[in-house]
Amino acid sequence: MSIDTLDERRTADAARRAAAAQARVCAEADAAALDGLISVRPRQAGPRPQPVWDDAEVLVHEPVGERYRRLVLASSTIAHTAQAGQFVMLTVPPSGGDRILLPRPMAIHRRRAAIAGTPERPGTPGTIELIYGIVGRGTRALAAVAVGATLQVTGPLGRGFEFAAGAASALLIGRGVGICGVMGAAEDAAALGIRTTMVLSGQRPEQLLGRADCAELGVRVLEATDRDGSSALTTLAARLRDHFDASTPERTPPDVVMVCGAGVLARLAAELGAFWGVPVQASLEAHMACGLGYCHGCAAPVRTDASVEGPLVCADGPVFDARIPIV
Amino acid sequence: MVAVRSDTDQPDARAAFFAAAPVGTAAGAPAVDLSVRIGNLTLHTPVMPASGCFGPELGALIPVGELGATVTKTVFGSARGGNPVHRLTEIPAGMVNSVGIPSRGPAGYLDELHPRYAALTVPTIISVGGHRVSEYAPVVAALGEHGAAYELNVSCPNLDRDGTDIGSDPAAIRAVVAAVRLVTDRPIIVKLPVLVASIADCALAAEEAGADGVCVANSIPAMPLAALTRRPILGNVIGGLSGPAIKPIVLRLVWLASRAVQIPVIACGGVESVEDALDYFSVGASAVQVGTASFARPFAAVEVARGLRERCLIAGLGSIRELLELEAAL
Ligand SMILES: Cc1cc2nc3c(=O)[nH]c(=O)nc-3n(C[C@H](O)[C@H](O)[C@H](O)COP(=O)(O)OP(=O)(O)OC[C@H]3O[C@@H](n4cnc5c(N)ncnc54)[C@H](O)[C@@H]3O)c2cc1C
Ligand SMILES: Cc1cc2nc3c(=O)[nH]c(=O)nc-3n(C[C@H](O)[C@H](O)[C@H](O)COP(=O)(O)O)c2cc1C
Ligand code: FES
Repeated sequence: MSIDTLDERRTADAARRAAAAQARVCAEADAAALDGLISVRPRQAGPRPQPVWDDAEVLVHEPVGERYRRLVLASSTIAHTAQAGQFVMLTVPPSGGDRILLPRPMAIHRRRAAIAGTPERPGTPGTIELIYGIVGRGTRALAAVAVGATLQVTGPLGRGFEFAAGAASALLIGRGVGICGVMGAAEDAAALGIRTTMVLSGQRPEQLLGRADCAELGVRVLEATDRDGSSALTTLAARLRDHFDASTPERTPPDVVMVCGAGVLARLAAELGAFWGVPVQASLEAHMACGLGYCHGCAAPVRTDASVEGPLVCADGPVFDARIPIV
Repeated sequence: MVAVRSDTDQPDARAAFFAAAPVGTAAGAPAVDLSVRIGNLTLHTPVMPASGCFGPELGALIPVGELGATVTKTVFGSARGGNPVHRLTEIPAGMVNSVGIPSRGPAGYLDELHPRYAALTVPTIISVGGHRVSEYAPVVAALGEHGAAYELNVSCPNLDRDGTDIGSDPAAIRAVVAAVRLVTDRPIIVKLPVLVASIADCALAAEEAGADGVCVANSIPAMPLAALTRRPILGNVIGGLSGPAIKPIVLRLVWLASRAVQIPVIACGGVESVEDALDYFSVGASAVQVGTASFARPFAAVEVARGLRERCLIAGLGSIRELLELEAAL
C-alpha cells in the first residue's frame, strides 16, 4: 500500500468512526429526551380510516436536493382517506439481486385528491407523496424503482395529528425527513384556516425540505440549520419564544405544537408547550414489520411495569402526547 | 381534505383481490380436495398463518376464509410486557425479532382478542406458551373450548432447568403434552424449536404423549449487529431469525420429523409461495404456515392457498398428494 492510499484509507476510517460515534450520541440523546415524555392520547374523536393495500403506480420518482427522493404514488383510496400524520408501509421490490423482506414505514407527506377529467383534459387519480432519505438496504433498493412501475403500499396507518375544535394557530416543527411527518398537519391547518408557522430544521440550508409546500399552503416558515447554528436546541427555543411572544399579530402563543424528526426536538416542543400552557403532539419512529398492530415489533419508548406491554408506535401512534414529566 | 372521487379513480388492489373468486370454485370445475385433518379438526386447506405473524386486523385486508385456520400469537399464563426496543430488524434473506411475546394472559386474550378471532369464520388455533412444564395445562384449561386446536410453543427457556428450551428436551415435551392432554379434547400441535439434538426424538415424544400434530419449526436464535456501530441492534441482543434464510434448515427438519412420526407435520419457515409449500409437502409436510412473508405481502398465505388449488386444477388432479406423485414419477 502506498503512503497516499494509506493516508486516504486512514482518513476514511476515521470518518467512519466519527459517524459511528455521532450515530450513537444522537441515538442516546434522543432516547434520553424521550424518557418519560410521551403518552398515548385520549381516544380519537372521529373514526380512523380502514387501511387497504394497493398496487400503486409510481407517477413521480425524482431526487430532491442531494439527500432525498420524492415518490408520488397513485392510490385513490389511500389519498382520499389518509389523515394528517398517518403513514404507509411500502413493500420494496427486489433490486439488483437484493431482496427486501420487510416493508418500510414512510410518512404521507402530501395527499392530493383526484381531479375529474374534462373533455379537454384527462383526470388524475388521487395521489400520495412521500419523501425519503437513503439510509440502508431498503431505501437503496427503493431508489431503483422506475416511474411507471407499481409499488405495493399498505395504508393509511396509525394515529396522526389532530387539531382540537376551535384551534386558531399552530406551531409545527420538523427536522430532516421528519418534516414529511408534520406536513399533513399543515395541509389540514390550511384547509381549516388555522394560522400556521413551521420550523424547517436540517443540517444545511440547501437540504431543507418543504419550502415549496409551505409556500403553497400559506405556512410561515422559520428555517433552522446546523450550518449556522440556528438549529441548536437552546437557540431555537429562544427564537420560538421571541417569535410567538413578540411578532405574531396577537402576540400570543400557538394553540398547539406538533413535532416530528428527533427525540430532542420532541422534548424542546414539550418544554415550549409547558411554557405556553398548550398541548404538544409528537410523531415517533420505530422499527416495524406489520404496521397494523399485531406483530408487537414497534414498542414505543414508554416505561411500564414488567407485566404490562407499553403502547405500540404503529397503532397507538405514531403521534403521541408529549409532556414534560413532573418530578 | 375534500374527498372527490373522479372517473379516473381505481378501486384499490385489495378490493380486486377479494373480488377474484379463487379458481376452481365455479360450478363445473373438477373437485379438488385440499383438506387436511389434524386430530379431530378438518381444515379445508392446508395453509395457515404462523403464530405472531397474524392478527384479526388482517380480517379487512385479506379474505381470511380462504385460509385453513388462524393461529394466534402465543398466550402465556401470566401477563408479560415484552422486550425493549429495537424489537426487530432485517438482514439479507431474513428478519430477526425479539418481540418477547407480550401477553395479557388467558383472561386478557379471551376478553380482548378472541372475539375478533371468532368473527373470522375459520378455526382459531390458539398458541400457548410457558416457562415451566407445569405452566401449559392451566392456560389451555382456562381457554377451554375457545381454541379449535392448541399449538404448544415449547421454544421457551425452561426455568425449571438451566434455561434450555423446553422443546429441546424430549422428556419435557412428553410432560407438557401429557398434562395438556388431560385438560382438553381439542387437537394438540407441538411447535418445535430448531436447535435440538434430534428433531425425530422431539417429534416422537410429542406423538407418544398424545399430540395430534407437530409444527416444525420456530425461528432460530440469532444476533444481528449494527453496521456502523457494531453494537447489537436488538434491545434484547438476541432474537429469532425467520424468513427465506431458514427454509433449507427447516426443510431438513421437516423431512426428518415426517419420517419419525405418523401424525401430521406442519411446516413453518420461509414459506412465501406455492413452490415453497410444495417443497415442504414433498418432504412429508401435511400443512404449511406462512410467517414473515405476510408482513410485506399481507395476502401471501391466501395466495399460497389459491396457488395450491390452481396447481391441482391445471394438472387435472384432485389433491396435492396426486400432484406430488405425478412429480415424483418424472
Ligand atoms: C411512522 C414512520 C414514518 C416514517 N417516515 C419517513 C419518511 O417520511 N421519510 C423517510 O425517509 N423515512 C421515514 N421513516 C424512516 C424509514 O422507515 C427508515 O429510514 C427506513 O425504514 C430505513 O430502511 P433501510 O432499509 O434503508 O435502513 P436499514 O437501517 O438498513 O434498515 C434495517 C431495518 O431497520 C428499520 N429501520 C431503520 N431505521 C429506521 C427508522 N428510522 N425508522 C423505522 N425503521 C427503521 C428498517 O425498516 C429495516 O427493517 C419513517 C419511519 C416511521 C416509523
Ligand atoms: C414478529 C414475529 C413474532 C413471532 N411470534 C411468535 C409467537 O408468539 N409464537 C410462536 O410460536 N412463534 C412466533 N414467531 C415465529 C413464527 O411463528 C415462525 O415460526 C417463524 O417466523 C418462521 O416462519 P417464517 O419464516 O415463515 O416467518 C414469530 C415470528 C415473528 C417474525
Ligand atoms: S409494526 Fe407490527 S405492531 Fe407495530
